[in-house]
Amino acid sequence: MADNPADADLIELGTKTPLGPYLKEMWDRREFAIVVPANDIRAQNMDTFLGQLWHLLNPLMLIGVYYIIFGVVLKTSRGVENFLGFLVVGILIFQLSQRAIQEAAASIRRNESLIRSIQFPRSLLPVSAVTGQTIAFIPSLVVLLSFVLITGERPTLRWFLLPVILLGQALFGVGASFIIARIGFAVTDIQQILPHLFRLLFYMSGVIFSVEVFITNTTMQNLFALNPMYDIITAARWALMGLPLPVACVVGLVLWALLLPIAGLLFFRAREHRYGA
Amino acid sequence: MSARPAVIADEVNVIYRVYEDSKPGIKQMFSKGRTHRKFRSIHAVKGVSFRLDEGESLGIIGSNGSGKSTLLMALTGLLPTESGKIKVRSRPTLLAVSAALRPGLSGRRNIIIGGLAMGMSKREIDEKLDEICAFAELEDFIDLPMRTYSSGMRARLSFAIATAHQPEILLIDEALAVGDAHFKEKSAERINKIRSQAGAVILVSHDTAEIARSCDRALWIEKGELRADGPTDEVVALYRAATHPKG
Repeated sequence: MADNPADADLIELGTKTPLGPYLKEMWDRREFAIVVPANDIRAQNMDTFLGQLWHLLNPLMLIGVYYIIFGVVLKTSRGVENFLGFLVVGILIFQLSQRAIQEAAASIRRNESLIRSIQFPRSLLPVSAVTGQTIAFIPSLVVLLSFVLITGERPTLRWFLLPVILLGQALFGVGASFIIARIGFAVTDIQQILPHLFRLLFYMSGVIFSVEVFITNTTMQNLFALNPMYDIITAARWALMGLPLPVACVVGLVLWALLLPIAGLLFFRAREHRYGA
Repeated sequence: MSARPAVIADEVNVIYRVYEDSKPGIKQMFSKGRTHRKFRSIHAVKGVSFRLDEGESLGIIGSNGSGKSTLLMALTGLLPTESGKIKVRSRPTLLAVSAALRPGLSGRRNIIIGGLAMGMSKREIDEKLDEICAFAELEDFIDLPMRTYSSGMRARLSFAIATAHQPEILLIDEALAVGDAHFKEKSAERINKIRSQAGAVILVSHDTAEIARSCDRALWIEKGELRADGPTDEVVALYRAATHPKG
């Protein structure tokens, strides 16, 4: 069949959508990335006796476990005035990123049948994992703020910066999710490695001890600022509890939040046509 | 003046690479990963060309394993082709919304999820929600979890969601085989409506009666090759003559 000028406006299938129209399609389908994960979270605890209450009970139990081990038994609390508040902010903020990224790693495989039946920008799947976990974080946020208040902190104007910090965390999460999702599609074994990586990251992010107190070498402290989780947690503690915030952490957080989503999307899109195959 | 084309397929070839699920030998048992598993290429669609104009409905018939469903998948753009070109006026919609639906959630929530997956906006779905319920005949069950639905009810719901936003090019794979006679009739009507609004419909089935009911043109695919292309009754007659020589 010769090319007919009347067919010029047809789309050829199997060709890569240029970045501009791709981003527009993502934007057009933004409701998908919010409504669907919100419903999935709702469905999660539907069959349990306590139902949606688990979204509050789970973070409480988690805090209990960590407080017993690190606050009471191991006493990593040295040098921190309000250790319970310090611990709660660290654990819950860390858990948000961990869950979002782990969900994203499985998102392509888990939605294989959807990918095989409907055409849409696949990047919405890791994005949905992040939005879903951010929505699921709302009860944890209530727990977090309650603990911070109960343990004696008082609201300041800095509290209003928490949403900005959480936005930075979400942006970093989306970027990391793109990268992990592509790797997770190619090598499912990453699911086995991720929990260990997160455990390592957990101890490297000052979740359960104060990095400033335990690590006195300034160069080492600055190296910690390369760790995005440490930056986010330190910023959140600064906003809510008035703890010190090194400039390196602010720079680190801004760079991770701005650069990783762009790099991640490019990395993810390069294999987009293979997902589901 | 001739009609505007909706789909042009030009020498389309699809090759599947599938891993053989054979019992692993001693060597495979001790080596990790799938690198040692044998794989085989299956040439499922061999050089198929056709052109479909707006307002046409095309049936694709063929025996099981003839490659007709694979061709349909290639037309969605979801399955990469080995060679050849497929050009479309707009991205075809495959009637397969069920993958997006969540069995644990109510029919109502699933209409929203399915609609969003099909690319509708939340507002558009809210406007059409009652119409979708009515078409699927699920008004009394719409707030029950979808896992309590019968297979016919699920099929009706999927069909109602997928066709709610008037796709320009609709692809259907045996979907109408479920549902009772009354619903089949309704589905055929809706397909005609999509066609009359300058849409194009492609229906894959081995049920020639169904093709005859909904399509005015048919393709017959056998062993991945195009055997006939023409008015439905002629192609169906050829297909019947070949598959039931004495009948």
